[in-house]
Amino acid sequence: MTDTPIRGDATSRAPRPTAGGWLNRLDRKRGAGPFLPGHHLPAAGPSTTAVHAGTHDDARTGAVGTPIYQASTFLLNADQYGSIEEGFARDRFIYSRYGNPSQWAVQEKLAALEGAESAIVFSSGMAAITATVMALVDKGAHVVASADLYGGTWNLFNQEFPTFGMSATLVDPQDFAAIEAAIRPETQLMYFEAITNPLLKIIDIPRLAEIARRHGLRLVIDATFAPPIAMRALEQGADVVVHSASKYLNGHSDLIAGVAAGPRKLIDMIWPRLLNYGGSLDPHACFLLERGLKTLAIRMRAHEESAHALARYLEGHPTVTRVFYPLLDSHPDRALARRLLKNGTGNVTFFVESDQAALQLVGALRIPKQATSLGGVESLVSLPFNTSQASYTARQRAAIGIHPGCVRLSVGIEDAADLIADFEQALAQISAAKEATHA
Amino acid sequence: MRNSLPTAALSEFVNEVTGAPEEALMDYGVILDWESGTRSRAEAKPMRVGPHRVSRCFSWKVDEPRQLMGNNHGPNPQELLLSGLGACMMVAFVAGATAEGIQLESLRIDLDATLDLRGFLGIGSNSPVGFPEISYTIHVTADASPEQLAALHARAVAHSPNAQTILNPVALRGEIVSTRSGA
Repeated sequence: MTDTPIRGDATSRAPRPTAGGWLNRLDRKRGAGPFLPGHHLPAAGPSTTAVHAGTHDDARTGAVGTPIYQASTFLLNADQYGSIEEGFARDRFIYSRYGNPSQWAVQEKLAALEGAESAIVFSSGMAAITATVMALVDKGAHVVASADLYGGTWNLFNQEFPTFGMSATLVDPQDFAAIEAAIRPETQLMYFEAITNPLLKIIDIPRLAEIARRHGLRLVIDATFAPPIAMRALEQGADVVVHSASKYLNGHSDLIAGVAAGPRKLIDMIWPRLLNYGGSLDPHACFLLERGLKTLAIRMRAHEESAHALARYLEGHPTVTRVFYPLLDSHPDRALARRLLKNGTGNVTFFVESDQAALQLVGALRIPKQATSLGGVESLVSLPFNTSQASYTARQRAAIGIHPGCVRLSVGIEDAADLIADFEQALAQISAAKEATHA
Repeated sequence: MRNSLPTAALSEFVNEVTGAPEEALMDYGVILDWESGTRSRAEAKPMRVGPHRVSRCFSWKVDEPRQLMGNNHGPNPQELLLSGLGACMMVAFVAGATAEGIQLESLRIDLDATLDLRGFLGIGSNSPVGFPEISYTIHVTADASPEQLAALHARAVAHSPNAQTILNPVALRGEIVSTRSGA
């Protein structure tokens, strides 16, 4: 075995057999990873981390940047067989659904950005969310989750959970008394989103973490709307952070991916769910995600700059009835945002008079593309009533503050002046249409 | 994975507990509700694994045979005691074998015990109320010598919580909360 090459994380070895001793002699300890050898970054700032963490040059050719390991399977030797036998197959390359160097590179970058010991990428945000939730619950389990959930996650709790004999109670994410009151003896998990969609409520993660700790529960935070440059959910007390990486993390609206990051112990529990549910991320998508992540810090600064300027402009416009942007003084959670967010994001939500006016507006805009999703370099605009919250009834939408005329805007990194000019002409069109109907 | 147990994760747990003993504290509970006659319904309460809660959601019936005035709707308390003992020794045996690198092909524990019900019935005799003796046989097929397996057996019994509970005095602290019916 000594000259058998290790194809994977060389720091990970089988425990030595106890040889007549008992379990206390087992000598393998849990460590961060799995990581490829030889490129560990010293403590660095977020931009340096985004560029360099996990990324490695090709040792054989000197090519700069992580190669794309477009392979489904790997040459096997005694060491890899041993990893299966001893139960640490996650630390070796065996088959790409289990792990692939392209996945490991971007996972290491994501773990470094989140300040996590370990991360797993998935083929979508929902694959990450489903695998994470199902890893942390057992037969008959109950989950306390936000009433403002993303529709896909709501479907998981509403459609899939009862089939498994599990249940979820959805509560106002800012009503801590209601959250505590919803906890039952069989509750195992609290599931919340760092910033809600579309009203951009800032969730007090440290306070939720304190409740979770006191009741012996795990706290999972979906930080899709608050990527690590803006906030590190694990530092705020989350046990696991999940993202749709299709949004800010990738940033270019050209792939679907997800990630779960956290302590090695919990991510190792999620990994078997990845194997069972099968949502593994293709190596080429890993390359794109890794490339996108390199500019995360600089993109987030540009998102904030344009979004903040546009939000201020919209707030002063007579056709706009209300604007939600966490850095505006008018935002209800401004103080919390100041405490938890290190950087703003591109999401701005505002209201015009009616859904009809909102439809007219998005049709008149020239720069933002009328499409769902968010966090891309290009501005995207959509209406919650027919996209993200389409599975809610009008009454359910109203209950979480999504009243008619709600416009969800994801400001890209375009120049603020161009975006403001575009909104000026589009808002002028709906004002003109309104005057015409009233004439 | 040898014996379907991840030795690496077992080793990581052992070493985690060395540094964080609170992770080793397990809280268990069972609730028994009388249903009818000798039959009761048992339900596992949510347990705690270290500082975290785990939903259990398991329930089962306990009954006595008709000869003992029951309806034979489930295993009786003595059978559950023996299965709890046997299953616990089995976990210890399998974990120990796996950690030692022993591949098991088959494993069966066959338990027997005789109870003299005169103790329960209060009929004057010297017979104890409980089991004076529990005997068992472990049938094992594995890639290990009889000596290795005998040593493993001894270690498994020495580290089995249920075996040690039976072998050692245990405090039984009970209280009763009573309500006068019709009151």
